[in-house]
Parts: sequence; C-alpha cells; structure tokens
Amino acid sequence: MADKNTTIRSGSKQPTAYQVRLRGHLSAQWATYFDGLSITLENDGDTLISGPVADQAALYGLLRKVRDLGLPLIALTPLE
Amino acid sequence: MPRSRQLAAIMFTDIKGYTALMQQDEDEAVKAREKHRSIFNSITDKYNGKVLQYYGDGTLSIFDSAVDAVKCGIEMQLGFREAPAIPVRIGIHTGDIFFSEEDIVGDSVNVASRIESLAVPGSVFVSEKAYDEIKNQSTIKATRLQAFRLKNVETPVVVYAIANEGLVVPRPEDIEGKTEKAPPATEEQAPGKKSQPLLATKLFTPPPRPNAVARPRLIRRLNEGLSGRLSLLSAPAGFGKTTLASEWAAGSGLPVAWLSLDERDSNLTRFLTYLTAALQVIDKDIGKGVSDMLHAPQPPPAESILTQLLNEVAIIQGRFILVLDDYHIVDSKAVDQALGFLLEHMPPQMHLAITTREDPQLPLSRLRVRGQLTELRVEALRFTTSEAASFLNQAMGLSLSEEDIAALESRTEGWIAGLQMAALSMQGRADTAAFIQAFTGSHRFILDYLAEEVLHSQPDTVRNFLIQTAILERLCGPLCDAVTGSEGGKAMLDTLERGNLFVIPLDDERQWYRYHHLFADVLMARLMEEQPGQLPGLHRRASVWYEHNGSPADAIRHALAGKDFERAAGLIERAWPEMDGNFESAAWLRWVQALPDALIRARPVLLVGIAWAHLNDGEMEAGEARLREAEQWLARQGNGDQQPTGRPAGMAVTDEAQFQGLPASIAIARAYLSQSFGDAAGTVKYAQHALSLLPENEYIMRGQAAALQGLTHWASGALDEAHQALTDTMSYFQIAGNIQFALSVTYGIAEIRATQGRLNDAFSNYEYALMAIAEQHKAIPRGTADLYLGLGGLFRERGDLAAATLQFQKSEELGPSLALPDWPYRLCVAKARLKEATGEPEAALALLDEAERLYFRTPMPNVRPVAALKARLWAIQGRLDEALAWVHTRKLSADDNLSFLQEFEHLTLARVLIGKYHSSRAEETIIQAMRLLERLLEAAEEGGRMGNAIEILVQQALARAAQGEKALALAALERALALAEPEGYFQAFADEGQPMARLLREAAARGIMPDYTGKLLAAFDAERTEVKPAAIPTLTQGHPAPVRPLIEPLSQRELEILQLIAQGLSNKEISERLFLALSTVKGHNKNIFGKLEAQRRTEALVRARELGLL
Repeated sequence: MADKNTTIRSGSKQPTAYQVRLRGHLSAQWATYFDGLSITLENDGDTLISGPVADQAALYGLLRKVRDLGLPLIALTPLE
Repeated sequence: MPRSRQLAAIMFTDIKGYTALMQQDEDEAVKAREKHRSIFNSITDKYNGKVLQYYGDGTLSIFDSAVDAVKCGIEMQLGFREAPAIPVRIGIHTGDIFFSEEDIVGDSVNVASRIESLAVPGSVFVSEKAYDEIKNQSTIKATRLQAFRLKNVETPVVVYAIANEGLVVPRPEDIEGKTEKAPPATEEQAPGKKSQPLLATKLFTPPPRPNAVARPRLIRRLNEGLSGRLSLLSAPAGFGKTTLASEWAAGSGLPVAWLSLDERDSNLTRFLTYLTAALQVIDKDIGKGVSDMLHAPQPPPAESILTQLLNEVAIIQGRFILVLDDYHIVDSKAVDQALGFLLEHMPPQMHLAITTREDPQLPLSRLRVRGQLTELRVEALRFTTSEAASFLNQAMGLSLSEEDIAALESRTEGWIAGLQMAALSMQGRADTAAFIQAFTGSHRFILDYLAEEVLHSQPDTVRNFLIQTAILERLCGPLCDAVTGSEGGKAMLDTLERGNLFVIPLDDERQWYRYHHLFADVLMARLMEEQPGQLPGLHRRASVWYEHNGSPADAIRHALAGKDFERAAGLIERAWPEMDGNFESAAWLRWVQALPDALIRARPVLLVGIAWAHLNDGEMEAGEARLREAEQWLARQGNGDQQPTGRPAGMAVTDEAQFQGLPASIAIARAYLSQSFGDAAGTVKYAQHALSLLPENEYIMRGQAAALQGLTHWASGALDEAHQALTDTMSYFQIAGNIQFALSVTYGIAEIRATQGRLNDAFSNYEYALMAIAEQHKAIPRGTADLYLGLGGLFRERGDLAAATLQFQKSEELGPSLALPDWPYRLCVAKARLKEATGEPEAALALLDEAERLYFRTPMPNVRPVAALKARLWAIQGRLDEALAWVHTRKLSADDNLSFLQEFEHLTLARVLIGKYHSSRAEETIIQAMRLLERLLEAAEEGGRMGNAIEILVQQALARAAQGEKALALAALERALALAEPEGYFQAFADEGQPMARLLREAAARGIMPDYTGKLLAAFDAERTEVKPAAIPTLTQGHPAPVRPLIEPLSQRELEILQLIAQGLSNKEISERLFLALSTVKGHNKNIFGKLEAQRRTEALVRARELGLL
C-alpha cells in the first residue's frame, strides 16, 4: 500500500481507496488479476484486498471480479 | 422422453415450388407428392435409412454413413427424373444429432436443411464433411462448388454437388446463397462489419456429461416447476448450474432452445436477435417477421418485437424450454425489462430457465407469490455428502472412505468445482489421505490451493498447454498449435474435455472450446505470475494466427496485449480504410492511443489516419499537427538521408497502397481544414490538387474532394453549384459501394433544398435515404440518426410539431453511435427551435446554451450561428438589451456588405431593429431595418434562396405594419404567402406571434389566399379551433393541413402509456405491464389528458390519433 497515496487523485469527494475482506487465504499471484491492488492475509483466515479505486464504476468492477472468482465476500470498507 | 445423441448422415429432401404447384393444380401436386413419397420410401429402405419426419412436401431422414445417404440420394434423383419428373432437391450433411421420438435437433440438422435449400431440382448437395467420407468411393463423383454462409451457422460451409450421370450440377453462380470467399471467420467482430453473422456456438446446448452425477432431487424439483413460468438457478461460479440445466433439459423430453449469453448481449437488439435465433431451433418459422423488425433503420420498441415473437410461439404445438445461460453477464436495464415483459406474457407452452451468478432484475417476488418460480440456490445446488461420494468414487474413479469424503465435502462446502479439482489432484496419487489432511487443514482459498494441486498433478505437456493457452478467449486446435508452437492442439483439447479439465465445447463439431471462466482466471493469474516473460510471445503468435484467419480486431487486441507495438502499428495501419469507411475512426483512434508516440511519428500512413480521425471530431489543431508531421516525411522523400529502399531513414510503412495515396489524402485533409476555417480559395486549391493526383477510379477520395468543393459553393451562396457537387459526391460514394458515406451527404443536399424554399424536395431527400436504409436489409448505418433529425426539422417547418417530436425521439433513440460526430450539437439546435415553436423560449435558450457548448468546427457552413439564434429569441421576447449587445459584439450594421454566410445574422439584426422601433418609435431605426431587408431580399432572390426570402418578406411585412403602412405590409405578406403555400410552410408565420396573427386576419378579410391564411390563423386561435378529425399531413400530399400542435409534447413514458390505453388496457393492467404503481399510472394519465386537452380516454385517443401520436 506504499504507493497508494501517489495514485489517488486529490480533491475528490468520493472515497478513493477501498478495502475488501474475503473469507479464505488468497495467494499473492492474484495481485495482477486485481489490477495491482495489495493482497494481505489476516491471521483469522481472511484476506484483505486494498488499494486505490478510481470511481464507482471501478468499484463495481472490483466486486464483479470477486463474484466471478466465487470468493465469499465479508465486508467492503472505504479507506480515508 | 430421454433423448440421445448420435452421429449420422442427415438427409433433407423437398419438392421445389410445391406450394405454388398446390395453388395452381392441387391434384397434380398431390400426385407429385405421392410419387415423391413412394420413391423416397422404397429407396430409403434399401439403404437402411430411417425416416424421422415428413413435413408437407419434404422429408428428414438419417443414414449410418454418408456413403449410404449419397448413394440413396443418387438413386432417388434418377427415379424422380422419370416422367412425370418431380423437381426434388436433396441435401446431405454428417454430424451429431439429438433426438427423441418425435423431435430432432442439433446444429447439424440445421446445416443439412440449409444445404438442401441451396440445392437445385435434380441435384444432390453435400457438405464438405459428408464429402470427406465419400471422396474415395469410385462409384460416386462430386464437384466442389464453393463456400457458403448458411443462416445461423457460424463458419462458412463448403458445398459439393454430386456429379454422377443424370444428376444436375449447377454452375456456382446459379445458386442462390451467400458465397464466402475469405477463410472462415473465427470471431464475429471483424472491425467494421456492421451486420455480424450469428455465432452458432451461442445457441449450442452443452451435451450432458457422460459421467455426471445424477441429481434426481434437483431434477424432480425442476420438473415440478415446469408448470410455472421460470426456473432460476442462481449461485456463484462452479456450482454446476449449466451442467444441471443441460441434464434436466435433455431429460425433460421437451425441445430445448439454449442461449449462452456474453457481454455483448447487453445490447438489446443483439439480445433479441439471438433470442429469436434460439427460438428458431424449436420451430424454424418463428421470428421470420421479427428479423426484419430488428434490422429496420428504427427498430420498433422491444415490446412490439417480443409481442410478435410470443404470438408466433403461441401457435407452436407442444411445450418447450428456453434456457438463458450465464444471465449475470448481461448488464443492461433494457434487456432486464425485455425479459420481464417476456416472462409476463409468455404463452403456456414456453418455460424459461435462467442460470446466473447474481439474481436477475426481474419481479421475482411476484412470481414467487404466484407460485410461478422454482429457485435452486447454493443451498440446493451444493453437493450433498452422498452426491460428493458418488462423484468422487464413481465419476472420478477414486476410492475414498466415508470420513475422507465427509472431510472434503465439509472443506469445500459442497462446492462442485472445488470437489472436481480435489478429485483431479488425487487421481493417480497413492497418498490421498495425506492430500486430504493437508487440504482440509489449510486456510487457503480452495481455488488457489486446488488449482495448484491440479496443475502439479498434470504431465508437463498438459500443464504447459493450459498455461500457455490461458490468454485465449476461445480455443481451437490450429490456434492453440500456433500459440504453443507445437502440434496436437486439437488432440489436447479432446484430452482436456475427456479429462474433465474445465474445457467447454462451443459447437457440435468440437472445433471451438473455452475454459471454464473460473479456471481461465486461475490459469491467467498463474501465467502472469510464473512466466510473465512468455506473455509477449504467446500474444504475438495468437495475433499472427488471427491476422491470417480474417480477424484483424483480434489480431490487434493480442498484439496490443503482448505490447508488440510495432506489429500492432502495422495491423492498425492496415485496418484504417475499412474502419474509416464505416465511420469508426473513433474506435480506431483508441487502438492508436495504445501505441507509443515515437512509433506513431515514424509512420506517415498512421499519421494521416490520425489526422483524419481528429478532423472528423472537430479537433482541427490536433489533426493539423499530425498532418504536418506526415507532410514532413513526404517532403524528405527524394532528399538526402535515404535508405536503400529510397525511403527516408526512420520512416516506416506497412500499407504500401495507402502510402501511395497519401499526397491526395493529405490534400483533401487540407481542403477540409480550409473549408472549416472558411477559406474558400484554399479549399478549391487543395481539392483540385487532390483531384489531379487521384486516378479516375478512386471514387471515395474523388467524392470527398467533390464534397468539399460543394461545401465551398454552399458557403458562398451558390446553391445550385453546391447541390450539383454534393449530388456528384453521392454518386461517387454509391459507385464505391459505401452506403454510409453516400447517406451522410443527404443532410447537406436536403438543407440546400430547404434554403432554396424547396421543402417538398428536401422531404423526398430524407425519405429516399431512409427507404434505401430499410431496403438494404442490413444493420442501420451510422448517420441514420441525422436523417431523422433533418426530417423532424422539416416537420417543424410545416407546423406538425407532434411529428417533429417523434422524429427527434427516433433520432435520440438511435443515439450518437448511429450519428455523425456533430449530431449532439445539431440535435440541441433542432430541439431548441421546436421549443420556440411550442412557446417555451426559456427552454429553447437553455438548449441553445447547450448547443453552443457542443459546437465544433466542421467544413459544413455555419449558416445559422447559435449566437444569432439566441439573439432572435431575445428579440421575440422583447429582451432588447441582450439582443443589442449581440449586435454590438458581432459589429453588425444595416449598411454592411451582405454575404450568404451572414444572411441569417443580418436578418436577425433586422428583427432587433424592428423590436427597437417598437419600444423607441425612432423613425431612423425602422428606416435602417427596411433598407437592410430590401437589400437582403434582393440578394436572396438573386441567389435563388427562396426559403430565406420568405423569412425576409415576413419581416418586411411586420416592419411595414409597425410603421402603420398596412397596404405595403399586406403586399409583402402576400408575396411571402405565395412563395410559402406550395411548399407547405407554416412555422415561418406561426413563430411571429400576435403581430402576424393581426396581419393574417387582415389578409383573410381581404380575400388574400383565403385557404392558406385560414389554416395559418387556426394556429393562432387555438381556443376557438374545432378538433378536426384525421388532419394528419402525409408526405405525399404537397401541402398538408397543419394540426393544432401540442403545447407541451408527451414524454416517452406518456407515449408508452398512451399506446396501452389505445390497446384498451385498464389502468391496472397498464400498471402491471409497465411495473408501475397504479397511482403512478393515474398520475401519468392526468398529464396525458392535460397535454391533449382531453377529459376522457376516448377524447384523448381521438386527439392523439389526430396528432399522429398513435
């Protein structure tokens, strides 16, 4: 998430970064599939996918990818 | 009834012209049919054929081999030849068929039937597949005809005629069918192909899997649900929805129409086209009328198409199932609504089944309440322990203990794709217990864990194949061979299918496959992670294959994905002429924008293409910059730094033919720029230079040069010359076969006619163009939206505001994708003028502001600048300060030199002066106005611009009236009326409000053109006017009687409700039909009645019919 702030456009009112929590541990090879978002494994067995999301359309695109992989979705949180 | 699959030789026969014969001589026809039947039956028997169906004059039969079928066909034809001869056609194809007792389906059946209908009487036609079986038979002779494109068949089929003695072998040109010369197209979206062939793979019902786990509990629920309308299989990827649906459908004993959806089906027209094609599997006569509707320039609303379709379905004998597979991929409100309508009105013989990863936007709760919905969700679809046991131990041949199975079932939560991967990982593995322990103990995402296991358990060859082909959206043997660089792709795909390795066949012939989406994602992620270095090579090879197999769009997609920009640049360069010819320069430009700039700048052909793409969008500076770069390359030709090829070092050219044409193309672009900036001399110079460079038969570019010269004439006011040049342009484009270019000229030609005061001719121009589009039976060309816009403008001119509104709506429904680039601007102007006519100047001004924002330069002369249109409205509203400010800004004066381009501005100046006189009574002002109008009239009459002359005369009349010179006012008005009446002008008078009404009354009182003034006056006296029935102007009548227009037009929704009222639906029925609350419908009704000034439904309908709204 180091480069997060550099890619977020400033001045927009919409949250520009999100975190998606999924059940199960996802391997790092999916980073490219998720357009370079960071993938973090939690100790409780969940996975966090987080990073900049350009707009609402991109956010729905992200959720669609989650759906298409059949990953159990637990939560979606905006990052400030 | 259980259905089974069989490979067979399929034969169709029929008597050509039987229906006609039946009408002429019924006895003769019956005799012919009896002879046909008796010969057919005895010879079919002799060759062990099996008759599956007789229908009217035709038959469908199958044989064990093509050899039997062809021999049988030959013998039959020899029999039919004997007097009295019967004209019988025979077609044969081999392939898989699915059949039950009374029903037979499959793409192969379709192919056989289509081949039969290509055949001529006395001939036997066979497909290449059937020919392959017979070609070594010494007793059978065959001649290759050619490849034909068959309806609903994706790839062209090569057809042979049996040439044994006594059989008819037609010349290829005598066969009525679409020939196909290019190699089989593999993807439907070759760039620029507007009318795309249907992909048969989308209608292919996945065959039941040989080893599938029987799921009687689910099948039972689905069968019970057949009495309802909808079966919904809604669950995430990998829960076996498609497999279950195909098992159930195949075992239901009912015919099945299957449609696999993809992203492009979010386009409503495409969705309806495929829906119709899917239903044609049930009955080939369904949707015959619908396909014309779908290809009409202005397709009717989805509901009309669906109603027609459902009416045809309603007369089918027997029930059937329609399966929509992967509905989640469709992301479109319009498609959701169409499907909702379908569900609501489906006849009882039809049952709909949907598989999806997310619940569709359909009224599910209502269906649920009515007991019309069967839902199978994750809970139902996941494997139970016993299903898991039967899958693992029987289907996959493992021998696991109950505990092991329970552990796997629990870890995967019955997720079928997971269990399948687990089983694949364990096959041929000794230590299954260790695997299960490790797997169940892991927290890792099942897909990750198992995909790795599956891939590791595969031999290297398989594993490499899977990873390397992950980049492909669809797979076929040759394409895989090209990508992997080895042979045996086809065999590998067969192996993968047999080994349950997540490949899904896309056709009967097992030519095209795709990976299960889930698996494809895994493979792609792995490829990018493990062997990113391989990606460029893989994409490159895919690109080359597609390039040589007729799909440049796919070739470019892969070249760009593989970052092989050199290659992509060459392909993009070559794609330009066709993309440009289809008005797809914007899409082309998106490809270009993926290329590095340095590479673009080395390619003059690309540079000129980009310049044109920018010019088309009004980006004159950007376009000119690219043009200059190209010109610099050409200037260096023949100078110092030459390569051995004679080319400047660093320059790259792929498309030699385009390069040779660059000087002419650049000259035309220069002419385009000059004309856009009003430089007539420059335009003529460059256009003539271009013509001197162009060969006689270079029709497109000659047409473009002629067009630009025509626009120059237009801008100078030489309308006859302009008309001639644009008509020539149209002929050039027609000779070149580019209908879109030809149609795009219509707007200019009709505009010129309107300026000349020839509204009738202008109407004909648009009508002719729209008719030409309707008759071509192809997809609607770009530019059609502009035609409706122009036509609507003419209706407005004639005072038929309802018709104008409808035309504008049609134009908007087609939208910018079917319009020329400056359409959004012209739409705003047209709508503003309509608002002006309906007495809403504020709304009109808002639209003009929007138009100002959207305006961009084109070579089209800007004869009515938006600022002047605004000033005109201000003058009408009495907002003199603003109007005068405009006069000041434009530095306009009554003593200016006159030019056609400024005619509208000067006319507006006259209006402002008359307005000023009204408030100040300063004699000086009105004298200026009169002097200006006199000069304007002289110029307009001299230039034959009678449309403008009418407007000028109207202003003269108003100015004289303001001065109190009644006789002079009426004299001017009478001249205007005389010019206007034959062409049906209306708004030119109506727009002028009460001062004009007073003058017209005066004119009527003096018996000046009483019919016409009476009609015009009716508009001013709306309150006192009686409703006249059926006073709808028709285009064939020279001067229609205008109808009192609506003050406020009906909204789209209100029009929709009005249609339903006209169909006699109650408010409640309307609310159900449109999924609206009853109160909402009532609210709409109130508005509709208000706008139509009606108290009751019947009154509203009378008025609506009168206005042409119904």
